[in-house]
Amino acid sequence: MTTLTYQRPTSLREALETGGSDGARFVSGGTDLMVQRRSGRSGTENLVSLRRVEELAGIDWKNDQLRIGAAVPLAGIGADQRIARDFPALAQAIAALGSVQIRNVATLGGNLCNASPAADTAPALLAYEARIEIANTGGTRTVGLDEFFTGPGSTVLQPGELLTAILLDARQSAGSAFMRLGRVRMDLAIASAAALVEIEDNRCTHARVAVGAVAPTPLRLSAVEEILEGKAPDGPTLAKAQAAVDALISPISDLRASARHRRRITPVLVARALEAAISMATGDAQ
Amino acid sequence: MNRVTFTLNGRSTVAVVDPHKRLIDLLRDTLGETGTKEGCGEGECGACTVLVDGRAVNSCLYPAPEVEGREVLTIEGLADSRGKGLSPLQQAFLDNGGTQCGFCTPGMVMAAVDLLRRNEHPTRADIQTALTGNLCRCTGYVQIFESIEAAASATNGGES
Repeated sequence: MTTLTYQRPTSLREALETGGSDGARFVSGGTDLMVQRRSGRSGTENLVSLRRVEELAGIDWKNDQLRIGAAVPLAGIGADQRIARDFPALAQAIAALGSVQIRNVATLGGNLCNASPAADTAPALLAYEARIEIANTGGTRTVGLDEFFTGPGSTVLQPGELLTAILLDARQSAGSAFMRLGRVRMDLAIASAAALVEIEDNRCTHARVAVGAVAPTPLRLSAVEEILEGKAPDGPTLAKAQAAVDALISPISDLRASARHRRRITPVLVARALEAAISMATGDAQ
Repeated sequence: MNRVTFTLNGRSTVAVVDPHKRLIDLLRDTLGETGTKEGCGEGECGACTVLVDGRAVNSCLYPAPEVEGREVLTIEGLADSRGKGLSPLQQAFLDNGGTQCGFCTPGMVMAAVDLLRRNEHPTRADIQTALTGNLCRCTGYVQIFESIEAAASATNGGES
């Protein structure tokens, strides 16, 4: 029988000291890890629960800067009215993720650290240029989310390091949206896309586009952003942006969909996310 | 082994569990409370739904040692909490044919308790969203939705 310990630190310092030891692994909501353990994909010996760590449990605003503690349950983020207003693509991604039961325990930190290419919150957070706060016993560092993922299931986190918070800056004049295609509601995405735009005088002054489940990691589409910036947000521009998606993605075939299907639908999801974001930025949706 | 002290259906409970056990193992195997069912064991089907600190969770994904100091409500706690008979929500499932083979029912009821505590008069769409994580292979869901609607319209929430 596997000999596991399960520890419940209440402070960040205690969590980092416990989690830095051999064979230890941090767990927050556990909705991925508990399934991986059951199917033998995780041989973890010692779990360090983050659910009671006070420093990871808060949603804090300082002016337009938002800090979401890594262990805040997704349901708590999804219920936050100001997040829904300022970061609608994130709220939409959370609403699309799993079930009520999953969202009541699963966390933003866990969704990112599990590093699934299909993680629903990742494209939205990439479009918002989220930064990730990482701590170990020696201190903290911050990396852009676009540098965080290194491959399926892997991140820049080193042993003993802990993702402590997700940092976001609200852009008050921006419009943003998240789109996802799945076989059914309770399934991983076949593909997903998020977009953020700012429009001034019928010109797109700022664009961020990201996709999920179509590359080894969630992916920013900088080449698509460059097509949009400086142009009128009209049909021809959107068509060019949509046409540029295919060359940037590298989807696989799996039980959910074929690579060919993913190549067909991803540009459509990108275009729909952009249309929704443009509509919000120009006030059409209000 | 971990010793955990928590509140189960209103009663203070002490149990000794292997640290790698899940809440559903603690409930069913250690404490003999077999009303909570295990379907998929992967958080997909919702048959194992219980409330922890008032929120619906999959007990098959919830580490047993994590209940330390928390409040757990299972299907057994609904009728007991009223002293006699079924809760209005349970009765509504019975009256409206919301149960067929019955295996998913405890999870459906607990997910509905979570919904009705937060939203006393849910729309059909609210109910469908709340039950996204609960599978039923018999009823086709319609009678389940009707049961929850009946409970919501009969009282100010099926549990109370």
